[in-house]
Amino acid sequence: MGQFVQYLINGVISGGILALIALGIVSVFKATKVVNFAHGHLILFGAYFYFTFAVMLPEAAFMPDWVRSWEPEWLVAYRADAPSFSPKAAIASWISDVPRILLGLAGALAANALLALLIERLVMRPLLGQSTFAMILSTVGLIWVLEGSAGLIWTAEAEQVPSLGPNFPIRFELFGANLFLFSGSLFNLLIALALFAALMLVLRYTRSGVAIRATAEDQSTAYAMGINVPRVFSSAWLIASTTGAVAGAILATRTGLSPAIGLFGLSVLAVVLMGGLDSFAGVLLASMLIGVLQAMTQWKLGGEYAEIVPYVAVLIVILIRPHGFLGQEEIERI
Amino acid sequence: MLSVTHASLAFGGIRALDDVSFTAETGHITAIIGPNGAGKTSLFNIISGFYQPQSGSIHFDGTDITGMRADKRAAMGMARTFQNIALFRGMTVLDNIKLGGHTRLRSGFWSSGFYYGAARREEAALRADIERDVIDFLELDHIRKAPVAALPYGLQKRVELARALAMRPKVLLLDEPVAGMNREETEDMARFILDIQDRWETTILLVEHDMGMVMDISNKVIVLNFGRKIADGTPDVVQRQPDVIEAYLGTSEDREVTV
Amino acid sequence: MITGHYKTRYTADEGIWSTWPKQAGLVAALVALAVLPLIANNYVLLLAGQIAIFIIAVVGLNVLVGYTGLMSLGHGAFFAIGAYTTVAVHHEFPNTFPLITLLISIAVAAAFGVLFGLPSLRVKGLYLAVATLSANFIVLFLIRQEWLAEWTGGVSGTETPNAVLFGYELRSQRAQYYFIVPIMLIMLLFAQNLFRTRFGRALIAIRDKDYSAEILGISLYSHKLKSFAISAAYCGAAGCLWAYFFPAILPEDFGLNMSITLVVCLVAGGMGRTLGPVFGTVLILLVPEILKIVFANVTDGDANAQMLFSPMRDIAFGVLIIGFLIFEPMGLVSIWDRFWRFVDRWPFSK
Ligand SMILES: Nc1ncnc2c1ncn2[C@@H]1O[C@H](COP(=O)(O)OP(=O)(O)O)[C@@H](O)[C@H]1O
Ligand SMILES: [Mg+2]
Repeated sequence: MGQFVQYLINGVISGGILALIALGIVSVFKATKVVNFAHGHLILFGAYFYFTFAVMLPEAAFMPDWVRSWEPEWLVAYRADAPSFSPKAAIASWISDVPRILLGLAGALAANALLALLIERLVMRPLLGQSTFAMILSTVGLIWVLEGSAGLIWTAEAEQVPSLGPNFPIRFELFGANLFLFSGSLFNLLIALALFAALMLVLRYTRSGVAIRATAEDQSTAYAMGINVPRVFSSAWLIASTTGAVAGAILATRTGLSPAIGLFGLSVLAVVLMGGLDSFAGVLLASMLIGVLQAMTQWKLGGEYAEIVPYVAVLIVILIRPHGFLGQEEIERI
Repeated sequence: MLSVTHASLAFGGIRALDDVSFTAETGHITAIIGPNGAGKTSLFNIISGFYQPQSGSIHFDGTDITGMRADKRAAMGMARTFQNIALFRGMTVLDNIKLGGHTRLRSGFWSSGFYYGAARREEAALRADIERDVIDFLELDHIRKAPVAALPYGLQKRVELARALAMRPKVLLLDEPVAGMNREETEDMARFILDIQDRWETTILLVEHDMGMVMDISNKVIVLNFGRKIADGTPDVVQRQPDVIEAYLGTSEDREVTV
Repeated sequence: MITGHYKTRYTADEGIWSTWPKQAGLVAALVALAVLPLIANNYVLLLAGQIAIFIIAVVGLNVLVGYTGLMSLGHGAFFAIGAYTTVAVHHEFPNTFPLITLLISIAVAAAFGVLFGLPSLRVKGLYLAVATLSANFIVLFLIRQEWLAEWTGGVSGTETPNAVLFGYELRSQRAQYYFIVPIMLIMLLFAQNLFRTRFGRALIAIRDKDYSAEILGISLYSHKLKSFAISAAYCGAAGCLWAYFFPAILPEDFGLNMSITLVVCLVAGGMGRTLGPVFGTVLILLVPEILKIVFANVTDGDANAQMLFSPMRDIAFGVLIIGFLIFEPMGLVSIWDRFWRFVDRWPFSK
């Protein structure tokens, strides 16, 4: 039982990250009807940008020392009596990392946003009005362009990137078993869920949110109502790229920097289809389900099996419910 | 030839068809009329097998076909055209019509792939057949190799009829064959329909708003309103029925008048 | 329409090599294919063999994607199934006649094709793309498994047999070429024939308007599954030849990258056209080679710069797909069509 809860916790944590990634795919789909197969690679860029701004840039000669490692006197004092590996020490070391974490996040968000705008303008816009097939394929083409570009730009050996939150082990007992998790993972989960919730609120209550929803409902009517549809497209890509940058930063701290992050994005596509492409709630549900299922598979069968869980799951779900848990079925009038 | 008994169909709360029964006699033209949204297309859809009625049954040529797949019904000799033209837009007129011959040909995957031999003979025979019975008959000679997407609306409707005709159907369902056509095109179409009836003794079901044409060419008229059958009889009789006149001319303002 | 070609029989009107310039072109192409090994070096023949094998696979993909309108991002799996079936057959019966192995590979791949095709009965488009992609991951996962390693070699891959025809082992590039290219030509002709007769027309009808096809008596279920089977069979054949052609195979050879490469070849060449796969594959497989040559010249064989080659190739592929989708969505065949229209109308063409 204790083991079970342990893996349940692990599952929920990775489910949160899946949801954060899925968010970007759903947003772009809702607004533009494009399913972005390259979202994982947008995240890959987010991860590399985070690395660039949080690790490479602070090391540069012209950067002041405090960016690399902020050591105000009170922090030194606070740290002085903390035993190593204690929460206190972890918090102290996190605080001294805060400047570069913030720099990294800001840089990653900005750079990724710029990248997404470029993609939207140069690739997606000219394909407006073409078949879904063409749209899908162009994002598949993007996979290669992005992966290749990443390989050209970041040739250096990637190092450890700073965790977004203070990272110390939390131990507790439940059902007579010793459980533990890292505070950093918990922090990541909170960020993911907060972003998810924030976006829901934005879509529901702000002007541009309503514009996005209207466009999702019916593009031509939205045009007719005076909504700036091209701007809606750009905002959807912005949402995807910025949430993707955060997801990239999180993945970089969790699994390290590697092109595998891009492939991970493809498995999230499977999760999205399971939940229903146009349903945020369905996708959140599917993310949590897959996260937990993967953790359980990891526990019982090993990591190799865990990797294909999303693919097996999506096949089963599609066969039973072709439009996912909560996706809307398109009806064809004859 | 074709009979529908107590058929009902609902989409959520909308009752598209409500306990509809009727029979189409062999070799006759049976017209189905009614205001927009009355359920005429839905009736065609349950007859051709796109939707399953929630209750009731459909008999065709002596067999109960309720629950049978659409392609099986087609193979039994049921053809139809659509209210919104459903041609294969990427193909030529000829290829569209050839597809109508699908159920009459035998060559399968292997003989198709090897071509020289049975498949080639069959293709040539089909071509000769189509040229004589369909293309000549419907006067499509001049456009046989034109891509359908480039044709004017009236001609596309005619190509769709040609495709259905290439099936050599026993029953032909025509959903608004002259909608949107001018007087001359309508007269052409009416003539073709009568010729088809004449030449092959095809049983024809016709949904149409053009009252002049309906009353002229049909042997029997069925009137639907809000999914219910409100009249059934010869054109003369139906025309004089008060509730038909009401359904058509409308007593409430919000109905679209479609006479 | 101006054609200037008049026919007196319907069979003639249905023919494909209808005009003499086309017939001459066909003969010239066949002669060129026949003499190529006599003048080309091994590098060219290696490339030619690889292209021929890929053409078979892309023709197969075209059956499904181009003609039936069903999307697949998982055809690498069928390629893998063909290749591994060949290895397994030779593992069990080392002296199997290559054409028998080819038929077995085709049959096994076709069976998997039907299995993969099941989702197509319920979903279309994007959903199918992801379903097939998932199936690809699952097949590779199975191939990597320990309990199949006796036949597949597991994670570390396996060596592959050579084809032996009547006691003569096809070892040289040239011998392999003469084995592969005729098979490719036959399979290409078979596909061409399919799509001018009843069966192929039915698939095209499903692509263009599925409910309209149904109303004409075309069973969506059986045709979609058959399309998957045929498509998989072609890829299985390609996989079999691949196993004979190369000394060893790895599971990763047949991953998403291969599946996408197949789609790229198809898009670049032109979907739903017989020659599309031919043009597309030739172009796409030549691109890395050309890049390699340019690269070697520019960098003078500098080892560090060589590391940049693979990312550059990826970018080139990506840009090619996007470029084609935006600027020539019908692929290279539309250029080909323009050429023949010009020839047909000459001397009145401008
Ligand atoms: N696929 C469908 N889903 C939901 N409602 C439908 C569908 N098809 C038809 N309807 C409804 O059923 C009713 C009858 O429609 P229809 O048969 O098309 O009428 P008609 O052809 O007589 O104009 C209408 O109210 C229509 O909105
Ligand atoms: Mg109607």
